[in-house]
Amino acid sequence: MGRAYIVKGYRTAVGKAGKGGLRFSRPDDLAVDVIKNIMAEVPELDKTRIDDIIVGNATPEAEQGLNIGRMISLMGLDTNKVPGMTVNRYCSSGLETIAIATAKIESGMSECIIAGGVESMSTMAMGGWRIVPNPKVGKENPSWYWGMGLTAEAVAKQFGVSREDQDAFALHSHEKAIAAIKAGRFKDDIVPINVHQVYLDEYEKRQERSYIIDTDEGPRASTLAGLGKLRPVFAQGGTVTAGNSSQTSDGAAFCLVMSEKMVKELNLEPIARLASYSVVGLEPKIMGMGPVDAIPKAIKAAGISQNDISLYELNEAFASQSLAVIRETGINPDIVNVNGGAIALGHPLGCTGAKLTVQIINELKRRDKKYGVVTMCIGTGQGAAGVVEMM
Amino acid sequence: MNRHISKVAVLGSGVMGSRIACHFANIGCEVLLLDIVPNELSEIDLKKGLTTESEGFRNRIVNDALTASTKSNPSPIYRKAFVSRIKTGNFDDDFSKISSCDWIIEVVIERLDIKQQVFSNVEKHRKPGTLITSNTSGIPIKMMLDGRSDDFKKHFCGSHFFNPPRYLQLLEIIPTPSTEPAVVDFLMDYGQRFLGKKTVLCKDTPAFIANRVGVYSIMSLFHIVNEMGLTVEEVDKLSGPIMGRPKSATFRTCDVVGLDTLVHVANGLKANCPEDEAKCLFELPSYISKMVDNNWLGSKSKQGFYKKEKDENGNRQILALDLNTLEYKKAARVKFPTLEMAKPIEDLHQRTKMLLMGMDKAGEFYKKIFGGLFAYVSNRIPEITDDLFKIDDALKAGFGWELGPFETWDILGIDQGIKLAEKEGKIVAPWIQEMKDAGFKSFYKMENGQKFYYDIASKAYKVIPGTEDLVMLESLRTEKKVWGNSDTTVVDMGNGILNLEFHTKMNTIGGGVIEGINKAIDLAEQDYKGLVIFNTGQNFSAGANVGMIFMMAIEQDFDELNFSVKAFQDTMMRVRYSNVPVIVAPHNMALGGGCELSMHADKVVAHAELYMGLVEFGVGLIPGGGGSKEFAKRLSDELAAGDIKINRMRDKFLTIGQAKVSTSAYEAFDLGYLREGIDEVVVSRQHQLIRAKEACELMVSEGYLAPKRGKNITVLGNEGLGIVYVGADTMLSGNYMSEHDRIISEKLGFVLCGGDLSENTIVSEQYLLDMERKAFLELCAERKTLERLESIVKKGKILRN
Repeated sequence: MGRAYIVKGYRTAVGKAGKGGLRFSRPDDLAVDVIKNIMAEVPELDKTRIDDIIVGNATPEAEQGLNIGRMISLMGLDTNKVPGMTVNRYCSSGLETIAIATAKIESGMSECIIAGGVESMSTMAMGGWRIVPNPKVGKENPSWYWGMGLTAEAVAKQFGVSREDQDAFALHSHEKAIAAIKAGRFKDDIVPINVHQVYLDEYEKRQERSYIIDTDEGPRASTLAGLGKLRPVFAQGGTVTAGNSSQTSDGAAFCLVMSEKMVKELNLEPIARLASYSVVGLEPKIMGMGPVDAIPKAIKAAGISQNDISLYELNEAFASQSLAVIRETGINPDIVNVNGGAIALGHPLGCTGAKLTVQIINELKRRDKKYGVVTMCIGTGQGAAGVVEMM
Repeated sequence: MNRHISKVAVLGSGVMGSRIACHFANIGCEVLLLDIVPNELSEIDLKKGLTTESEGFRNRIVNDALTASTKSNPSPIYRKAFVSRIKTGNFDDDFSKISSCDWIIEVVIERLDIKQQVFSNVEKHRKPGTLITSNTSGIPIKMMLDGRSDDFKKHFCGSHFFNPPRYLQLLEIIPTPSTEPAVVDFLMDYGQRFLGKKTVLCKDTPAFIANRVGVYSIMSLFHIVNEMGLTVEEVDKLSGPIMGRPKSATFRTCDVVGLDTLVHVANGLKANCPEDEAKCLFELPSYISKMVDNNWLGSKSKQGFYKKEKDENGNRQILALDLNTLEYKKAARVKFPTLEMAKPIEDLHQRTKMLLMGMDKAGEFYKKIFGGLFAYVSNRIPEITDDLFKIDDALKAGFGWELGPFETWDILGIDQGIKLAEKEGKIVAPWIQEMKDAGFKSFYKMENGQKFYYDIASKAYKVIPGTEDLVMLESLRTEKKVWGNSDTTVVDMGNGILNLEFHTKMNTIGGGVIEGINKAIDLAEQDYKGLVIFNTGQNFSAGANVGMIFMMAIEQDFDELNFSVKAFQDTMMRVRYSNVPVIVAPHNMALGGGCELSMHADKVVAHAELYMGLVEFGVGLIPGGGGSKEFAKRLSDELAAGDIKINRMRDKFLTIGQAKVSTSAYEAFDLGYLREGIDEVVVSRQHQLIRAKEACELMVSEGYLAPKRGKNITVLGNEGLGIVYVGADTMLSGNYMSEHDRIISEKLGFVLCGGDLSENTIVSEQYLLDMERKAFLELCAERKTLERLESIVKKGKILRN
């Protein structure tokens, strides 16, 4: 049985949740746009040969519920022959799906899978609309249900990450992202999305307008002084603010994963492969530290060493956990999130894993490097990392 | 003509203009608020990319002013959403829009030429018959008539609001000789009934009524301080709540108002009232002039008679100005034997007598100020008004005095008052002597449920105009008393409707009040038809008697405590399930037990100024008089099939858990204390009781049937408990609450969820009441709750522990 290759990968620009340009787009529509773009680029592929569409999503309810994966396969491919499923591992969902696709193909169960993720945080309450913790756990282990902000405070405290360092990290993330956008470094990632808005004008006359979203909306010119003025939002006397946390966002990203055999048959050019993928568990209170164990585990599984890694894409849920992870793992901060992270670019939870995979592939290609790691912390005490190997 | 006010134009958006606009929005009017176009683009305008053509630039002044007002504290607006009733614009582009307004109020800068310019513009666009008034405090109204059309003149007068217009009750109406009587009548009634103001009809004399007498009063104190060698803090202690005046008393009030404003009015009076026998008092004492020169104007310049500073330990301290040296010193404690004697006396009438009996410096002080005041106000008739009650009304509503000068005079008797004035070398007006000689013994009298005043012209008592259709509790109290104990009085208001009022300290609810409520319901069920619970105190009720709970808790007398809490709960249930309609009509503070009582009424007729909340959390408890139960019940009632219950439960939990208090009756609806579609808001405090009585009568005439008791509350049980525990832990871990807060939160959540039942179990009110009472008693056994109770009882402060 041969290897599985990523043949294509695209993402939407990331919109600001609630106020950004993608707030009028449903998550299923966003995903469909990306998938149609992939399909258009591979006319050789008979769509009925796609074995599955696997969609990562961290809040699979309401617009994202009812097995959105299957809905996307029906809507996106114009056939009922391709099934679809939804996978939730919170923030690693979008990478998890690529790992599942890779594993299925490499084991011979499948030949071709579209895998990725989507999240429309505009349509969703954080954590979902109806949060019903188990009362027994609530009484005995309430921190298993803690909001992520509080875990970021716990990490900051336990690992001694100062407010000043967090703010400086956040500022740097914005600076890198702005530079990347200016240099057009996301051009190869992004599928422009045509948004259609229907509204009433001041005379209550129905109006329609369409606009294109093709640029990440999150990055903004900020200053240390400006960030320093923000109040902590998760704990009184804390250090985690809206400015040094990732942004809530809308976005979708997908990859076409294919067996070696099919790649050869269709005469396609493989661009990368997911060489390994590891998930670990840890104390939910400090979930932000998840990558610390996941990164070496994935590197080891890929049969390489940390020195072989040229780039890291870290989900950057919070500056506190990002800094603590960088310090604990000893990885070179200069090769982490070189084009900015989620504090600037946004963190559409279930999409992030796939989005970062698309980003790292294009950046490795640009730098002509072999290996990169996509890694993230995951709610309720988990961490994930995947090694991307360029072909 | 049938006049209807639905749209109001306010011209000028300064501190007064924008707040007047807010108050009209409060009562439901659409408001057009206009101001001038700025002279030039500001740096911020340029940054925003605005041009002189942009609306953002052209309306900048008005928009900034309105934003500043709506953000100010206390808020000028009942409910934030009401601001959308105000549309802003500018004089250049939007003036023509005043043509659709029913009332145009001019509140531009106090310069006659500018006002006249505005009026000539108004004249171009105003449709005939539209009311037009000027909110001046210093310019004679008649001077504004030059060049105006007849229709304008007929519909024009002064309308003097006091700042802040939402909170200060007074609205002076000042007609000119050309104003149509119907216009005056309309404004007098509209202001009272719909704006909730005390309208006082004034003559067009300098500073009108309230400021004339109020500023006289302050200026005379400025001089008495010198004469008697009193300090700033002494005068404020003497002239504050002890004599029925506001807490800010004299000098603190000056600091708030601004010394420059005060001096401006005083100078105006000095210049324009050459005949005033007390005009020498309008001369500024030298220390005032020096303060103005130093720009020590009060709050606006950070220092005036007082100054806030941090001491060497970083603690905030208040310094008071020494008027001799003009240096700030730490405010000293004030002690006078007369004050010590008077302090325990609750009744202001009795207390005032005590103050005047004092033989010390304090007694002398009161004799001086009252003697002077009596003479001064008697001599202002007929200069500033023909009717003595207008002076009382103006001072009470505009300056927050509990009693007007003539009401105070009545306490002493006419003779005594005359003597007091004479001792101070003052002469009272001749009409006083005539009145006395004719055998009249008082300025006011109560009769047949109405309040009468002595009418000087006809030399006879007359009903105070505008009060004919009101229920005057102060009169019924003596004439129509049905029952009473030391804490409550029940009166017959007619048509089978009783009123129960409390008169405990802060109107707290203890055993006596509980007895009173039960007795009133007994009486209503036996011999009457309905009951209103309303009182005329400062506040409706500060809640259950915490001192009593503390005593029983500290003595660990849990049987007695259980009995008391049960009695409270049973009484609340009786309010709901008695055979007569019970209307609760709260005003100002209705906290804890006062809120619970309201929540069990058949209908609440609330005054718009209602500060309502279940605040038990602050003293380490949960609502134990049916409040927690009621929130669980309301949650169940409000939910429809398919609703996400847990989020609604969380909102209810947070309302009690954060001890949220409404800043108006409308907010009390938003917080779930009042019920949409059942409870009502009355803007006019004067009309609140009659409206409550009418509501009660209506229920009676519709054949009132009490709600049926039943097992009909669906609780969340285990479905809700998880979020309660996690929420409490999150708040604790985020340092937003203490370990003890967590204990209280969990108990509160447990009651709101109906305990650890399986999801969607149906329970009765009694089940929840028992659960709520158990939690309440358990908390009373907690040391930290006792500490909180002790702190509120002994220091009046909320302890965080």
